[in-house]
Amino acid sequence: MCGDATKWDEDAYRGSILKEREILTRTVFRTVWAPLNPTPDTIVVASSDGSIASYSISSCISKLQPLGLSNSKAQHFLGAEPDGFLQGHDGPAYDVKFYCDNDDALLLSCGDDGRIRGWRWNEFKESKVPIHLQGDHVKPVLDLVNPQHKGPWGALSPIPENNAIAIDPQGGSIFSAAGDSSAYCWDVESSKIKMVFKGHSDYLHCVVVRKSASQIVTGSEDGTARIWDCKSGKCIKVIDPVRDKKLKGFISCVSCVALDASESWLACGSGQSLSVWNLPASECVSNISSHAPIQDVIFDDNQILSVGAEPLLNRSDINGVILSQIQCAPQSVFSVSRHPSGVVSVGGYGGLVDVISQFGSHLCTFCCQGI
Amino acid sequence: MEVLRRAILQAGPPENFALQTVQEVIKPQKQTKLAQDENQLLENMLRTLLQELASSAVQSGEPIMQYGQSIDDGETSHAQIPRLLDIVLHLCENEHVEGGMIFQLLEDLTEMSTMKNCKDIFGYIESKQDILGKQELFARGKLVMLRTCNQLLRRLSKANDVVFCGRILMFLAHFFPLSERSAVNIKGVFNTSNETKYEKDPPDGIPVDFNFYKTFWSLQEYFCNPAVTLVPTKWQKFASSLTVVLNTFDSQPLSEEEGDTNDLEEEAATFNIKYLTSTKLMGLELKDSSFRRHVLVQCLILFDYLKGPGKNDKDLPSESMKEEIKSCEERVKKLLEMTPPKGGDFLCSIEHILDREKNWVWWKRDGCPPFEKQPMERKAVGDGPKKRRPRWRLGNKELSQLWKWADQNPNALTDAQRVRTPAISEYWKPLAEDMDPSAGIEAEYHHKNNRVYCWKGLRVSARQDLDGFSRFTDHGIEGVVPLELLPPHVRSKYQAKANDRSKRAKKEDSKGAPSQAEENQIATSANEIDGEGIRADLEASAAPMDTDATTGTSNNSQGGTPTPDEQQKQSSDTDIGQEAGQLDADAEADAGMMDGETDAEVDLDVVG
Repeated sequence: MCGDATKWDEDAYRGSILKEREILTRTVFRTVWAPLNPTPDTIVVASSDGSIASYSISSCISKLQPLGLSNSKAQHFLGAEPDGFLQGHDGPAYDVKFYCDNDDALLLSCGDDGRIRGWRWNEFKESKVPIHLQGDHVKPVLDLVNPQHKGPWGALSPIPENNAIAIDPQGGSIFSAAGDSSAYCWDVESSKIKMVFKGHSDYLHCVVVRKSASQIVTGSEDGTARIWDCKSGKCIKVIDPVRDKKLKGFISCVSCVALDASESWLACGSGQSLSVWNLPASECVSNISSHAPIQDVIFDDNQILSVGAEPLLNRSDINGVILSQIQCAPQSVFSVSRHPSGVVSVGGYGGLVDVISQFGSHLCTFCCQGI
Repeated sequence: MEVLRRAILQAGPPENFALQTVQEVIKPQKQTKLAQDENQLLENMLRTLLQELASSAVQSGEPIMQYGQSIDDGETSHAQIPRLLDIVLHLCENEHVEGGMIFQLLEDLTEMSTMKNCKDIFGYIESKQDILGKQELFARGKLVMLRTCNQLLRRLSKANDVVFCGRILMFLAHFFPLSERSAVNIKGVFNTSNETKYEKDPPDGIPVDFNFYKTFWSLQEYFCNPAVTLVPTKWQKFASSLTVVLNTFDSQPLSEEEGDTNDLEEEAATFNIKYLTSTKLMGLELKDSSFRRHVLVQCLILFDYLKGPGKNDKDLPSESMKEEIKSCEERVKKLLEMTPPKGGDFLCSIEHILDREKNWVWWKRDGCPPFEKQPMERKAVGDGPKKRRPRWRLGNKELSQLWKWADQNPNALTDAQRVRTPAISEYWKPLAEDMDPSAGIEAEYHHKNNRVYCWKGLRVSARQDLDGFSRFTDHGIEGVVPLELLPPHVRSKYQAKANDRSKRAKKEDSKGAPSQAEENQIATSANEIDGEGIRADLEASAAPMDTDATTGTSNNSQGGTPTPDEQQKQSSDTDIGQEAGQLDADAEADAGMMDGETDAEVDLDVVG
């Protein structure tokens, strides 16, 4: 066996090396808590290998138990096996959201392949297929592909990727922030594009829906956030969070936007600063600087949770005063989401998901493993 | 019994009739002091009487301490029981009867009475505190009193009779000396029955970080019995749990507003002995600044115990553990400081309190020595009570003494035994001997390295031997030593410059011997001007001078004999111009002292 090179399979070796590398650099791009659950138990994770997987927090904790407290000291995290697994996309899956909160809830995801796909959550949840056989065991009920652009002589552009999606269940629409500098509004029933929002000069990072005013807010690589009217498809307002910096020729993209529950406050992360805007007054009320680029932001009542390219979960108030900084596992955090009970999950580099309880203690930390 | 009964009803202060009554009842052998069995007899009678009075008071429905009180004719007559107590107290105080009797009666009375009446009885005790606390009585009855009070405390509800409990405790605190050992936990035993129970199984339905919950409350087991923590494995567990908790505290600092919502006064009103440990409350408790403070202070107390004295050597924490304790303690203190409201002030007070606590630990370790200092025996000097501390005219005693010293010692300047300035020849002798390389003196003991010696010498030389003093610039301290003191081979080194001087000296020497008397006179005149200093010099030089004259040896043949040259020098001191020069030289000498050491070292190298 040793030194016997006759059965050397270079492709298999190459494959294993690449796979290993992939696992090491696996990134969680989005975590979302499953609806209809008063306890923060099920979390759905979209990762860089295009998978959409659900994990049970309680089983993770029970696996943690024998290891005890020493676990958090050593930089060794529990490798958790998912409950349910979907191979959603070719290439990374960038976003995952739930459509509706009721029994008909859809699990929607988008990714680098320019698709938005949707599965019935109940069907997925109650699937009896053994975990190692899962992947495409549940057929998507929704499969939307971004349109390609026609160039001269009928040349087709590549399919633009979808970087984020936003849901408006009342209007039956899905908004996607796409790589062709425009946002699309899809109709869920007909699977058709209802509206295209064009105006940004570079690809889009994020999109949120402002239901009360039927508007959406998008953030783009061009350094601006725009507010659009959904009915007319027109840009109502261009928000330029770092206008001063732009004079120096330095543009940082708007990587994340978030609206609070009343939909009158907008948090807008661009580069290393997080600006908070009052939408009715169209005024910037505060600007928080952090040490690392901000990568995701959400509102927690009247506080703002933000994460970025540092292993910290920042909690600040609207006036920009940092209230707490909690150390978390991923070195770079791409997603923060909050369960109604106050439990917060963050996901990021290394395939790590850190679940932080309402006390600020680490409920559990696990590393997403592929199938 | 009837006599006693009558006595109680009698008006007037007890000293008028108390003793007669006792004599009447007991018919004692001694007039004023009862014997053992007589005491017992009286005590029995009094106890019976008290019992009867108390029962009739109960039957009449009056409060015990007011039974028999009548407000008929303008003046209120005393109630019967206090009256009885007054009489007994008087007897006890004057040592007519055994001192413990009053305490016995008081104990009986409190045991017979309802809580309501006990309040009155205790009021009586408090009013007689001064008499009861007298040394003779206290010694007889302190244990009975302690028992009485403890019984009362036991009967009282800690929650509802807080004021009465407080009164009793205050009384005990006043009644017993501060160093009373009976209530001290000498061995430092922990109350391990104060257990904090918490939920062991995760609750259903409510999302909660149960791991953290358990970690958090499990700390209480260590706080409850700190001695456990000394076991290394337990300490490890404790330290890791504590780190988790501190991390959580750290990551969620409380804002000023959250701190302000806890009005401390309001909190005092709704004070709870123990925090509740329900999982549902965990979130609220973590946001409560005073809760957080409690936990952090518990940590500090534990650390203090671990660091504190009073344990066996084997129980002392190891070095690594000490390090950990120190870092943890710093973290806890930082957190306390961060916790509003007024974290800094709070930390200061806590540190102060813990410091005082340490004193108690030391006190216990030293076997609880009494704090009471016996008053110093007042001196029988008839200065009277209003003797004030003397005021010193010049600030303090020493300065004033120095000031008055001259007045008190008028003949100090003429005393033959007084201390005088040494002659330079005498003074420099040790250094001269050290300078002889053959003596082989180590640098450490070499006189030239003794800075005080050198400085004194320079001062002496500047006054007596300006010529020698001037050699300081060329040769350092060793040049100042009179050449005559040096052995010949050493001398040559310093002679070059001094050539002319020795020539002159020789010249003078040639006529010096005959005119000895004359020169002595000159020297004397110099001495007079110079004050006492030179006298010694003169005397020192006077004797060898005689031998000098008789033997007729030359001045440079032997070291150690002063030369006329020197005396001439003395006379020249009188010159005012030189005096001024001397001042300069003095200054120079001071400056020279600074680098004198280095010079000396160089010299040593040369010599060596």
